[in-house]
Amino acid sequence: MSTPKRRNGWGTRNVLVAIGATAILVYSIGPFIWLFIASITPEATADFDTPYLSDRTVTYLPTDPSFANYYALFQNVPFELYFRNSAIIATGNMVLTLIVASLGAYGFVRFRFAGRSSFLVAMLVAYTIPSVVLLVPLLVIFRNVGLNNTHLGMILAEATHAAPFVLLLMINYFSTLPKELEEAAQVDGAGRIKTLWRIVIPLSLPGLVAGGLLAFIMSWNNFLFAFLLTSTTQVKTLPVIMRQFALGEPAVWGVSAAGALLSTLPVALIFLLFQRMLMSGLAAGAVKG
Amino acid sequence: MSVQAATMTPARPKRRKRVDYLPYVLISPIGLLLLAITVYPAIEAVYLSMTNASLLRLAKAQFIGLRNFVRMTADPIFLDGLWRTLRWDVAVVGIELLIALPIALFLNMTFRYRGFVRAAVMVPYITPPAVVGLVFCFMFDGNYGVVNDILVRLGILDSYVAWLSDPTASFWVVVTAMVWYGQPLMALILLASLQTIPGELYEAAAVDGAGKLSQFWHITLPHIIPTILFLVLLRTIWMSNHIDMIFVMTTGGPGFSNYTEAVYSFQLTNEFEIGYASAVAVVLAIILMTCSAFYVRHLAKNVLAGSSS
Repeated sequence: MSTPKRRNGWGTRNVLVAIGATAILVYSIGPFIWLFIASITPEATADFDTPYLSDRTVTYLPTDPSFANYYALFQNVPFELYFRNSAIIATGNMVLTLIVASLGAYGFVRFRFAGRSSFLVAMLVAYTIPSVVLLVPLLVIFRNVGLNNTHLGMILAEATHAAPFVLLLMINYFSTLPKELEEAAQVDGAGRIKTLWRIVIPLSLPGLVAGGLLAFIMSWNNFLFAFLLTSTTQVKTLPVIMRQFALGEPAVWGVSAAGALLSTLPVALIFLLFQRMLMSGLAAGAVKG
Repeated sequence: MSVQAATMTPARPKRRKRVDYLPYVLISPIGLLLLAITVYPAIEAVYLSMTNASLLRLAKAQFIGLRNFVRMTADPIFLDGLWRTLRWDVAVVGIELLIALPIALFLNMTFRYRGFVRAAVMVPYITPPAVVGLVFCFMFDGNYGVVNDILVRLGILDSYVAWLSDPTASFWVVVTAMVWYGQPLMALILLASLQTIPGELYEAAAVDGAGKLSQFWHITLPHIIPTILFLVLLRTIWMSNHIDMIFVMTTGGPGFSNYTEAVYSFQLTNEFEIGYASAVAVVLAIILMTCSAFYVRHLAKNVLAGSSS
């Protein structure tokens, strides 16, 4: 982090910066603080059978904070099952996406072949097909081939968005790698697959980590496919449950808040640990080519 | 070995006679995957849009030609949906820009803990949209929502408002949630654009006696205008087919007040009317993909140019 420039009137400037930073922090983090307060405020009455009713009042500082809501969450909702489903699907999506997208990206960046630009444009067009259009046919096709209500089906459905995104991200990343190293390895007698394995993959680790984790986050956060393509508890993911909570089922806000926080925790941790890599990756996959 | 090295060198005018299969092997997994999970389903969607298919009696689906599309022209939910979609796009993208630009300008300054603030700014964007929807439902709840409490304490409201039960209020609450979730990406990309402006420009302007506002108007803004236009286009396309936030918070209601075309298609699907749902989705997709053709061309050009260096 760079030190502040001590210019004339830096005192006023610092005050203004502090005000600005506080405003931004309150805006960005505030809802989470409120969520946390709600999650440690015990419920007056915890009724898991009657939806749309809650005796809650607005409490800013709970007089007797406790983690009772977290216990209640695991006791009354199969939360660990949903959590596990989200983890399986997001991990599967990450692995699948990373493999196919990085192979493809390497092919596009390092080789000139007949049909190269047509194939690339075709994949970009596939990327722009709105998921609204894909929802119904995927539902019908998955029913026919028995992929509805399976983890694999969910992994495939979420790859519709994640795979082209990571492809773009990795194309962008591979383009920044000097190809001289690869050429040197090949002059030294390494085969092309060996070069990919020994030189390209290790050099691209930051890009691969960013692509993989963003695919994980996308899949973890996905609501639409999860809502439409799953109907049994065995494959339902956390976002589907979040909507149920939002509808007031159960209307135990403290418990919902606990669930919401725990649902966000994995992606928040991933982001905080890898934020530099992820931020450049987000920009690359979304806008730049 | 030198032959293999030669294949690595791009833009060789003379190609070898033998076709090199490796690049095709490399791109075929993602090619086949996208073929199976996007291209084939998209074609299936076009077919379904010309049937009266219902999820409850899928086997009895009949081909009805363009009747679904004719039905749309007299369907008030669809016709009003065009306006609702536009209103949603303009509100979300406009307000996102109004919030993201100051944040990006702020983060472009040098100050202590900048890295920390920048990380905090990104937090909403990695939060699951369904959680965002839940939190904003909670905060805007009519009985125990914190927003009501604060507004009443400040004397702005006399009594609690049931925000999500009112057509207009619920729209703005969902927009508020969506903006909170979406603005970090805009801020991040605007910041990246701001950081490419050479500092000398500002120094020269300062020497010439240009004030901060004048510098912003004559140096900063012209530089970031292309990025802004690009973001507006991209976000408008994304928002037009966004469903999550509206559906999680309001299920499109009250009434049909938050039925954008995307939400309408999704709701028809939930009501098993998948033929008509597909038709609505196909119309939306044609409009959006026409808009994104520009984006695709730009991307393809970038990718093809960038990787040949």
